[in-house]
Amino acid sequence: MSEVVLLQLIGLAVVGTGIVILLFIRAQFARVIGFVAIVLGIFSLVALAVPQMASLPPAEEKFDIATVKTPTDMAAIGQKIFFSKGQCALCHSIGPSEAARCPDLKGIGAKLSREFIYESLTQPQAYIYLDYRHGGLPKEYPARMPYINKNPIGLSKNEILSVIAFLQQMSGEPISVSPSELEIPGQAPAAPIKAAESAPAAVAQAR
Amino acid sequence: MLHHAGLLLKLVCGMTGRTWWVVTLAVLAGLVGIPALSWAQDATSVTTAYRDIPQLGGSRNIIWVIAQLHLLLAGFVLGVPIFAWVCEIVGWRSGDKRYDKLAKEFTKLLTSAYATTALFGGILLFLLISLYPKLMGYLTDIFFPSFVVYCVLFLLETVTLYLYWYGWDAMQGGTMKGVHLFLGFLLNIFAFFIMIVPNSWATFQASPVVISEGSDIARAWAATWNPTWWPVNVHRLIANVVLGGFICGAYAGVRYLSVSTSEERDHYDWMGYVGNFIGVFGMLPLPFAGYWLMREVYQYNQQMGITLMGGFLSWLFILQAMLIGVLFLGANYYFWLGITYRIPGAEAKYKAPILTMLVILLLCLGVWMTPHSLVASLEEARKMGGTHHPLLGVFGVMSAKMTVANLMILVTFMSFIMYWRAGKQETATWAKVARAFMAGVLGVAAIIVIVLGVWGYFVPAIVRINYFSVAQVLIVLFVMLTITPLTAVLLKSARTTTEMVWGRMPPRAGYALVLNAVMVILLMTLMGYARSSSRVHWHIYGVMRDSSQYAYSPALGYAAAFMALNTFLFCLLVAFIFWVATMGDKGKAPTASGKGALPHGAMPAMAGGSQGLDKP
Repeated sequence: MSEVVLLQLIGLAVVGTGIVILLFIRAQFARVIGFVAIVLGIFSLVALAVPQMASLPPAEEKFDIATVKTPTDMAAIGQKIFFSKGQCALCHSIGPSEAARCPDLKGIGAKLSREFIYESLTQPQAYIYLDYRHGGLPKEYPARMPYINKNPIGLSKNEILSVIAFLQQMSGEPISVSPSELEIPGQAPAAPIKAAESAPAAVAQAR
Repeated sequence: MLHHAGLLLKLVCGMTGRTWWVVTLAVLAGLVGIPALSWAQDATSVTTAYRDIPQLGGSRNIIWVIAQLHLLLAGFVLGVPIFAWVCEIVGWRSGDKRYDKLAKEFTKLLTSAYATTALFGGILLFLLISLYPKLMGYLTDIFFPSFVVYCVLFLLETVTLYLYWYGWDAMQGGTMKGVHLFLGFLLNIFAFFIMIVPNSWATFQASPVVISEGSDIARAWAATWNPTWWPVNVHRLIANVVLGGFICGAYAGVRYLSVSTSEERDHYDWMGYVGNFIGVFGMLPLPFAGYWLMREVYQYNQQMGITLMGGFLSWLFILQAMLIGVLFLGANYYFWLGITYRIPGAEAKYKAPILTMLVILLLCLGVWMTPHSLVASLEEARKMGGTHHPLLGVFGVMSAKMTVANLMILVTFMSFIMYWRAGKQETATWAKVARAFMAGVLGVAAIIVIVLGVWGYFVPAIVRINYFSVAQVLIVLFVMLTITPLTAVLLKSARTTTEMVWGRMPPRAGYALVLNAVMVILLMTLMGYARSSSRVHWHIYGVMRDSSQYAYSPALGYAAAFMALNTFLFCLLVAFIFWVATMGDKGKAPTASGKGALPHGAMPAMAGGSQGLDKP
């Protein structure tokens, strides 16, 4: 029995108990309890009737460099990051979409150099692409590209390179990122994470 | 669920009762506990990040229940003083002793309610220290100065409450009444600060800011002034008034169902009216405060806003719309029952307007509950033909939701005005002009709200957010601020044609009051889950990641079960508090002294009635 079914049964039992109380018990306080039970049971059942989506923490991508042999391997990892930890698909689409809040990334790997993409991800305000126009209805809120290498997304350099590989591959371009560029953990010190505008990191030193 | 960590001190100080030992024990616990947090930081250097009690459902679920109950109780004990003080002022200004009695009756609850709140606060503090030592160490490091401030505030609140409660009878005459009212004012001021200090801890978890180097106080101050602090302060303040009002209404509803004498029925019918009135009064501006909060969230971090409104929590807002819709319907239904049963002969006259308002409310609710873009599975998106429903998607956008929210507020406001004017005949020579003017203001306002809503589809979002939505809110406020005083002036010289009769409401009125209170409590639990889940897998967003096994937000169905459980437990606790507080009254006949013993037909001053004019 799944968790949802179990909770639905409990909800139904609560509602049923409330109905029984209202039908057979005359004491007013008990009847109010029965009424409240019905309301809460119905609320639970409605909540169980909508799509059940839990928010799981992004998987800690174990970037095992030993398994990355070719640029295609990097692109495969980049694709996973694009749709999960990187949260890129939350705003960007690949192909035209009414729901997309931000530029369509289809063919972006062919239009932009890898250096430009890297800069767009790590210094999104450094260069604003003035030619960008959003078609269709105005979006809910003006989009602002976050710093991908900083919290809360916080992709590592290896992960960003993999995303670039994916964008190039998806655009039909030869992948210009090489596995040899990947940093081996422990050999290259991680860049210090400074406070980002979009999600500033509070730095409180232990006293 | 650790945004409730911000409340850890509401615990240290969250009590006040006739049982001094409870207070003393809890304060000692706080004073012992706070430095322990700092020492833990030094001594263990946070080698233990988490502890768990899986036998009791896991640390996260334990904290969830205790923190939610503590927060609801805190909202109750902070909302009741506002409610009581307002009632006392109304009683003092109008000379109607019933309001003073009502205020005293609810202040009496505070003693046991504070102790219960403190009890849960203490449990929460110890659980947080034990189960989340690393997080608590971090927060203590930043907020230690405000912990001290909080304790001082609590002591001041305790002393003030004792003076306010035990001095009630002694401070009734002459200037002493003024002193007593001032004590009530101080009580609410301290209560307000007691609320906003822990809010800074909780909001810091959701919207942390860069903390500059400096003294402890400077760092605590910087962290306190985070982007969502004031929006949450305002939102919670209003919500506490709403909670206090509707709980008063629910208490009156339950008692109304149980009592046997006509005097008691009159009294609790009237109390239910007052509770519902204050609840509705607070509810009207609440959506505006919520809108401000969401806007600040978006401005602080768009990803967090998207997670809330368009991400995995998007369905939550459909549930929220359902609860708010039921609340609006319940509040209006109670007004309509009042018109029908308290004002004999009014049913036929107001049947058509009531039906019209019901239809408008239901249509608005339908629009409000229409989902916008949802993070759906690929299969779901394919079935819908995209993330928007092809037909109903147009109602799912914020422009439509803001419009219907404003319309529902207007309808509810007009329900109240209709109730207010029922059974009265204006005698002023300019009454006809005034009525036409009010109808014009209402009609034009409704049209403008709708036009702005439709226009909002065709302008850039920033224009709609910054100008159109704000204009809609201002227009609705303008309607309220125009029609309310005009009606009051108009009715001052009005003749009572049908006297209002208390105690004749059907039993379903009592259930409507209970339903309203349950809706408000459920809404608070729902939005607590939303705020906590918007931080996703972070204890402190972007700063301290939740690396425990509970670093996920459960699905809505699972969460709703906890919300329902917490709501039920809170209702039982409140019922217990009422029972304990009124135990001494058993056997006593309801004191219907002074104007409390007014014959049927006396309209409360809060509804604009004039005691003199109402006399036959």
